[in-house]
Amino acid sequence: MSTATASVERAAGNRWERNVPVYGFPVVNGFFLGLSALVLVAFVLTAYRELTGLGPVSGMNDAYGWGIWKTFNVMVLTALGSGAFAIGIAAWVFRRKRLHSLMRMALLTSFLAYACGLLLLGIDAGRPWNFYWMVFPWKWNMHSPLAEVAICMSIYAMIPLAVENLPPLLERLWYFDSRLRPGVELVEKRLHYFFPWIIAAAYLLPGMHQSSLGALMLLAGERVHPLWQTPWLPVLYLGAASFMSFGCVAGTTMLCCLVWKRAMDMEVLEEAARITSWLVFGWLGLRLVDVLFRGALGTAFHFDRFAGVFWLEVLLITAGGVLLWRSAKSHDPQPMFIGYILSSAGGMIYRFSPTTLAFRPNPQALYFPATVEVLVSLGFISLGVVGFLIAVKRLAILPAPLSEWHDMASYFRFRRPYIRWTGYFKYGHFGEDETPEASGSD
Amino acid sequence: MAITRRQLITGIAKAGIPAAVAVTVGTDALQAGEHIPIPNAAVGLLYDASVCIGCKACVAACAEANDTPPDTRSDNLHQAPSDLNELTRNVIKLYKPEDGSAFSFVKRQCMHCLDPACAAGCPFQALHKDQETGIVTWTAEKCIGCRYCTITCPYHIPRFQWSGFNPRVTKCELCSTRLEKGLKPGCTTVCPTGAVIFGPRSVLLLEAKQRIKNNPGRYYQERVYGETDNGGTQALYLSKVPFEKLGLPELGPESVPARTLRWQRRFYQYFALPAVLYGGLVQVIRKSLRGHEEEAHEREKETGLRAQL
Amino acid sequence: MSTVERETIGTHLRKSGVSRRNFLQLCSKIIVAAPIGLSLTRKATAAQVARMVGKARRPSVIWLHFQDCTGCTETLLRTSAPDVAHLILDVISLDYHETLMAASGAQAEAALKSAIEDNAGKYVLVVEGSIPTRDDGVYMELSGRPAIQVVKEVAAQAAAVIAIGSCASWGGVPSADPNPTGAVGVDSVISGKPIVNLPGCPPNPYNLLAVVLEYVTMGRLPELDQLGRPKFAYDRVIHENCPRRAHFDAGRFAAAFGDEGHRKGWCLYKLGCKGPVTHAACASRHFNEIPGVWPIGTGVPCVGCTEKGVVWQMSTFETVPIHLATPPDTYPPVFSGAGQLKVGAAALVGAITGAVGGAAWVASQRFHSSMDAGVERIATDRAHAEKLKAPAEKSVEKKEV
Repeated sequence: MSTATASVERAAGNRWERNVPVYGFPVVNGFFLGLSALVLVAFVLTAYRELTGLGPVSGMNDAYGWGIWKTFNVMVLTALGSGAFAIGIAAWVFRRKRLHSLMRMALLTSFLAYACGLLLLGIDAGRPWNFYWMVFPWKWNMHSPLAEVAICMSIYAMIPLAVENLPPLLERLWYFDSRLRPGVELVEKRLHYFFPWIIAAAYLLPGMHQSSLGALMLLAGERVHPLWQTPWLPVLYLGAASFMSFGCVAGTTMLCCLVWKRAMDMEVLEEAARITSWLVFGWLGLRLVDVLFRGALGTAFHFDRFAGVFWLEVLLITAGGVLLWRSAKSHDPQPMFIGYILSSAGGMIYRFSPTTLAFRPNPQALYFPATVEVLVSLGFISLGVVGFLIAVKRLAILPAPLSEWHDMASYFRFRRPYIRWTGYFKYGHFGEDETPEASGSD
Repeated sequence: MAITRRQLITGIAKAGIPAAVAVTVGTDALQAGEHIPIPNAAVGLLYDASVCIGCKACVAACAEANDTPPDTRSDNLHQAPSDLNELTRNVIKLYKPEDGSAFSFVKRQCMHCLDPACAAGCPFQALHKDQETGIVTWTAEKCIGCRYCTITCPYHIPRFQWSGFNPRVTKCELCSTRLEKGLKPGCTTVCPTGAVIFGPRSVLLLEAKQRIKNNPGRYYQERVYGETDNGGTQALYLSKVPFEKLGLPELGPESVPARTLRWQRRFYQYFALPAVLYGGLVQVIRKSLRGHEEEAHEREKETGLRAQL
Repeated sequence: MSTVERETIGTHLRKSGVSRRNFLQLCSKIIVAAPIGLSLTRKATAAQVARMVGKARRPSVIWLHFQDCTGCTETLLRTSAPDVAHLILDVISLDYHETLMAASGAQAEAALKSAIEDNAGKYVLVVEGSIPTRDDGVYMELSGRPAIQVVKEVAAQAAAVIAIGSCASWGGVPSADPNPTGAVGVDSVISGKPIVNLPGCPPNPYNLLAVVLEYVTMGRLPELDQLGRPKFAYDRVIHENCPRRAHFDAGRFAAAFGDEGHRKGWCLYKLGCKGPVTHAACASRHFNEIPGVWPIGTGVPCVGCTEKGVVWQMSTFETVPIHLATPPDTYPPVFSGAGQLKVGAAALVGAITGAVGGAAWVASQRFHSSMDAGVERIATDRAHAEKLKAPAEKSVEKKEV
C-alpha cells in the first residue's frame, strides 16, 4: 500500500512471519520484582479479606454492592482480554489472514485477563465455597445473567481458552528434548482434530458472556442513568469488548516491540487499526442512535457528572477511532498507539459506568474503593503482567520477522552456549548436538 | 447416494437457523405473554401508612421473632438501625418534607413480589419464591454471596452482611417459622393500631379496596401499591403521600425481570440460537483451518522451521 | 406442746378496732403491689381480697435478725400512716421480733422457744440480715450460739422461710469486698425448705405482706424466679417501667448533678443509673406509699440495691449495658447515606492513573525512533542470518522469491 521506496523496504523487512520469544532480556529485573511485590501484597491482603469479610477491606456498602473487583477487574479487564474472541473472529471467521500473527498474543492476553478476573470474581464472592453448585446444571438459574456470566466465563477460561494456549507450550516442549517429541506430536495431532470445535466454542462463549455482562445491569432498571440504560446494553458491551480488545492486543504488541526493540509489521497493524476504527465508528453510531431514539440525549447537556462521563467516553472513543483511521492511512505508529490507548480507555469507561459511575441507587450514597481494595485489584493485574512477562520471554508469542528467529537461535547457540535447554533450536538429548536448525534440516 | 458429514451438518445448520429464530421470536406466544402467576396460597401484608403511628413495636418484634439481636450499633443504647441491614429485616422510616406538608411513616420490608427480580438474578436459586405461599426465602447453602440481589431488587431490600467470614443475606421472610406454627408474623402481631395486617393476598386486596372506597380522598391516587406495580407484590401499601416519597418507586405494571430480560430470555430459550450459531461457526472455522494449515505447511517447507499453528 | 388456736384475721382486726375502711385500703394496696403473679389478687377486687384475707387464720411469724441494720424492720414500720403499720402487725401475729418486742435476755429466749413450740410446722420464718460463715460463724451470735446454728434450728420447724432484704437474700452489705465475715444469704445455709427472697435495701414492705398473705390464704407461695424472688415484684427491671424512660428513648440525659438536664428530670443513665440491670418494682410502686419518693424520682440514679454483683460491686457512676435494647424516639429518613470518600484511597487511585497514563504517553513518544531502530536491527539481523545459512538453502530461497 506504500509508495516510498524506504517504506517498501521497511515493509518487506518487517513482515511478521513467525512468533519468537523475547531473548536477551532477563525475566527478573527491577520492574518484575516490583510487580511481584505488588502480587505478594495482594495475596496477603486477600487472606486478610477472607478472614474479616468484605466490609472492612472495601468501599462496598449496601447501596453499592459491587466494587471495583467485579466492575473493573471482571467487567472491564475481561473486555480488554477479549482478544481471543475479537481478533480470532476477524482471523478465522472473516479470514483476515494477516491477523494470524497476532493470534498468540491475543490468546495469551486473553487467558491472563480472564484468569486474573476469575480469581478476583472468586475473591469478591462473599460465600465462595458454594461455587460447587456450578457442577450441577439443573441447579443453575438460566434466567440469571450473572449465572450465565460466571458459568460461561469459567468454562471458557478453563477449556477453550486454555486449550488454545497449549500450542506455544507444546512447541517449547518439542524443542526442549527430542525424547518428548513423539508424545508432543501425538497431543498436537489430537488437538488439531478438535480445533474447529474448540475454536468455535472460543467464539460462542465469549459472545455469550460478554453480552451477558451487559445484561447484568439491565435488571437495575431506572437506577442506571438513562444515557447508559438501554435494552441494547448487551450488544453495546459486546461491541465495546471487541474494539477494546483489539486495542489491548495490538497496543500491547506495539509496546512490546518498542520495549524489546522488535520490528513492527505495519501491514498487520494497519489492518488491525482499520478494523478497530470500523468497529469504533459502528459502535459509536449504535450508541448515539440509541441515546437519540430513547430521548435521553437531553440529559447529556445537563451540568452534572453523568453528562461529563458521557462526553468523556464519546470524545475518547471518537478521538481514538479517528486517530486509528488516519494512522492506518499514514502508516504512522505513534497516532496508532495513541488511538488504541484512547479508544480502549473510552471503552473501559463505558463498560465501567453502568455499574458505578452512572449507577444511582440512592441519592445519598456514594462508592469509592478502599485502599485495600485498590491494592488487591492492582496486585492481581500485576499478576497478569508478571505472567505475561514470563510467558513472552519463555514461549514463542511475540510476532517477529523470520530473521529474528535465526538471531534468537544464534543468540543461544553462540552467545549463551551453556544454556542449551532454553533455546528454540533442535537439540537431541540433553547436550547431544544434533545438526543445528540453521543448516535447514528439519 | 451417501451424504458427506459436511453436507449433513450444513443441512442441519440450514434448517436449524430458521427454527431457532422462530423459537426465539415466537417465545412470546409460547409463554402466553409472560403472564405472572399468583401463588395459590399467596399470603402478604397490608400496610396502611396513614394509620401507622411510628411506635416501632414491629421493629423490636421482628428482631425477637427472628432470633436476631437488636441492632444497637448506632449508640450502643437503642435498637436504632438507620436502614435495613444484616440485623434488621424491617424498619420504620419517616418521610417529613421540609415545607411542613403532610408527613408519613413507612414500614420497609421485603415486598415478596410476584415476579421477584432478586430471584430472577440469583445464580444458583438461593433466593427462591415458594410455589404455594409466594414467600421469597434465602437459603444459605446455595448462596455464593455475589450480591446481585442487592442490585436487582427495585426496592433495595436484601442486605448483605459485610463483616465476618460467613456472611449472609438478610431480608424479611414473613416469619415462615411462625406461620408453620399457626402464628402470625411478628410485626403484625404487635402492631397496636392495626396499621400492618397479615392475611391471604386476595383478602388483603379486598380490604384495601374497601378502605379506599370508604374513605374517598384519603389515599394517594385512590389505589393500592402492589396490586399491579412491578407485576404485583404480596406486600401491599396504602398511603396518604406519594408512594415515591416513601421509597416505593413507580415501576409500572410489568415486573422488572419481564421488562428487562425479555430478549435475554428469548435468546437463550432452549439454547436453540446459541447451538445453531455454534454449528455454523464450526463449519466456517473448519474451512479456515484447512486453508491455514495448508499455508503453514508450505511455509514450513520454505523456511525449514517447524510450523507454528 | 400446746397449739394455740388462732382467731381469724377478720375477727382480730374487728377486735383491735381497725375500721373496715382501713382494712379495704390495705387490701387495695396489696392489689397495687401485686397486679399479677399472686393468686390472691388475680382478677380480684379489694372487697374480694378482704373477704379471703378475713377468713384466714392469723399467721404466726417469727422474725430473726442476724447481720442486719434493721432497715427492713424500719421499712415495715416507717409507713406514712401509723394505722397501716398497726394493720400490718395485726394482720400477722408477730410472735418473735427482737426490735419490736418488749422482752429481752432470758425472757426473749423463752419467747422464741415457746413461739417455735406453739406453732411448730406452721409459722413463717422471716430472716433479716446475712449470716456469717467464716470462723465457725462467730461473728454473729444469738444467745451465745452462732447464727448458722440458730437459723438452722428455727428453720427446721418453719413452714416457709422469707429472706427479707438483700442481706438475707444474698449477703448484702456485709458481703461487700473483702467480705471478712463470710456473709451469705439464707438460701446458702438452709435447704429443704421453701425460701422466698425479697431483696432490696430496704425492700418494699408490701412485698412481704403480699407473700405472707398469699401463703396464708391460698396455702402456697407465689411464683418465684431462678433466684427465689417472687415474679410479681422482681420480674421486670427498673428500666422497663421507669417514668423517665421517654427521656432515655429521646436521648435526653443528665450529664452532671445539678445541670440543666438533671433539673429538668432527664434520664440518669449517664450518671450511672443501674436501672437497666436491676430487678425491682420501684419504678411503678415507688416507695412507702408516697408518690415520687424513690431514688430516681428524687434525681438520684438507682444503685441496684436488689442485685448481687451490682450494688457495692460496681462503681456508682459506672454505666451498665442495655440488655433489652428497644427503638428510640428518633426516625431514620427514607433514603439514608452510605459510603464515604477516603482521601488515601483517592490519592492512590489518582497516582496509579497518573502513572499508567504517563507511561503510555512516554511510550507513545518513542515510537518514531523505535521504527528506525527496528529497521536497522532487522537489517543487521538479516545479514547475520544470511551468513548462518547454508549455500543450498539460499538458492532455494532465491528461487521462491
